[in-house]
Amino acid sequence: MRPDWGYRAILVALPILHFTLHVGLGLERGAPDLLAVGLLLLARELRMGTAAGVGFVLGLLEDAFSLLAFGANALACTVLGIVGSRSRDLFVGESVLFLVSYLFLGTWLRGALHWLLAGDEVRSDAALSLLVNAPVDAAYATAVGVALLFVTGAWRTEPRG
Amino acid sequence: MPPFEQDKFENGRKRERWLSIFFLLLAGILIALPSRGQEQVATALRATVLSPFLLLQESLVQTRIRAEEVADLQARLDAAAATLAAQSTLREENERLRELLALRERAGPSFRSASVLRSGIRGSESMLLLDVGGREGVEVNDPVVSAQGLVGIIREVGSGRSVAMDWTHPDFRVSVMTLDGEAFGLVEPRSGAFREEDRLILTGVPYYTTLDPGTALVTSGRGSVYPRGILVGTVQELAATEAGWARSYWLEPAVRPFGVNQVLVLTGDPARGLGEGEGLEGLWVEPEPEPGDTLSAPTEQSNPEEGFNPDELPTPDEPGEPDDLPISNEPSDPNEPDATEDPDGLGAPSSSNGGRR
Repeated sequence: MRPDWGYRAILVALPILHFTLHVGLGLERGAPDLLAVGLLLLARELRMGTAAGVGFVLGLLEDAFSLLAFGANALACTVLGIVGSRSRDLFVGESVLFLVSYLFLGTWLRGALHWLLAGDEVRSDAALSLLVNAPVDAAYATAVGVALLFVTGAWRTEPRG
Repeated sequence: MPPFEQDKFENGRKRERWLSIFFLLLAGILIALPSRGQEQVATALRATVLSPFLLLQESLVQTRIRAEEVADLQARLDAAAATLAAQSTLREENERLRELLALRERAGPSFRSASVLRSGIRGSESMLLLDVGGREGVEVNDPVVSAQGLVGIIREVGSGRSVAMDWTHPDFRVSVMTLDGEAFGLVEPRSGAFREEDRLILTGVPYYTTLDPGTALVTSGRGSVYPRGILVGTVQELAATEAGWARSYWLEPAVRPFGVNQVLVLTGDPARGLGEGEGLEGLWVEPEPEPGDTLSAPTEQSNPEEGFNPDELPTPDEPGEPDDLPISNEPSDPNEPDATEDPDGLGAPSSSNGGRR
């Protein structure tokens, strides 16, 4: 567990910022998926069950605006929380390269899971969704997330605590 | 790791695993929920946790809508203002045309109505482009008047267009007199710092003849350009005195040329249609009932700023009679300039050219 409260505050603020941008300001796809970024980073700080619970709650909040695929976000984020928490056991990962790869793959995974779990009304072409939209969204979210972490000083390469 | 701690660790992992499975199942249940149940959950979340974000968006949307409404209202206001302005212009033009029509009807067929065209280019000040020309009988040196008084004089004539200069032109001169004929003089322009500050100055007034502010001055009719009686302006204040010789006065012009859009051009012989010594003063100002009582008494004139009033049209016997223009100064007065030959009293050439030098 990292005792850096500033880092954790940023991780908590990211989902709030996500809803502020998407819902409050109505930017929709113009805003990055900071929910996934926050969840991925937060999951590495939490145990698996707790991360799953956090993912479930955050996904459920998003599902409140997704009646056509209700529950898909909750399940995808739950899985993402579990995977993020388990990644701590597989990768130590304090480098920037790991951070970028982790955020990119995690965000892409969330998009892929949502596409998989969403109903036919929402699901679009697989190639377009998984190979174009999801990577672009993942890259966008990764870039913004990494920038936020570095700008705020929340990310440090040296071991914390 | 001691067995107790290892058991505790394993139990913790199992708990986390089951917790994860629980949330996964819960998420699966959410997906499997009927639409009604999903809507209720979503509604509850939107009404509680997510309400601040929704309120934020609502306020932003309202702000955006208000901004658009303000822009729309501003556009409508501008359109309404433009419409009102256009109607106001039309109304003013209509009023001017009515005034000119009445003036023209009163003045007779020798007046041609014309619209003033302005080029707006630098150096075109003091020049008026009129939409009447030789076809309408307009000739060089025809006077240009408006319902308020004298505007200027025609300088160039084309077939359907003519160019006039207004009184702000440096070459403009006109011989004037008071309505009671007490004083004569020559009016010429004086440029101000701005075009709006251009004024007229009356020179050559006999030293012992004082003019009170507000005294109206009309063309004297001497020469062959301006008929007698066109309002030129009113006396504002004394400008200068030449000891024992003459006075000069600042005049408030009857017409500000830059605001004129419709004019009348007096065509043909200025004296045509007018009797011997007959003038046009009744068209602009009411003639003096008993002229020439005193030299310095202020005369009650119609306010020239009010322009031509058709209701004040004089009867045929009132204007233009020779008796209406007495020279009240005694001929033996040494300060009296020879009105016949030198109306401005400054030794200037006689007004054979209508008072213009």
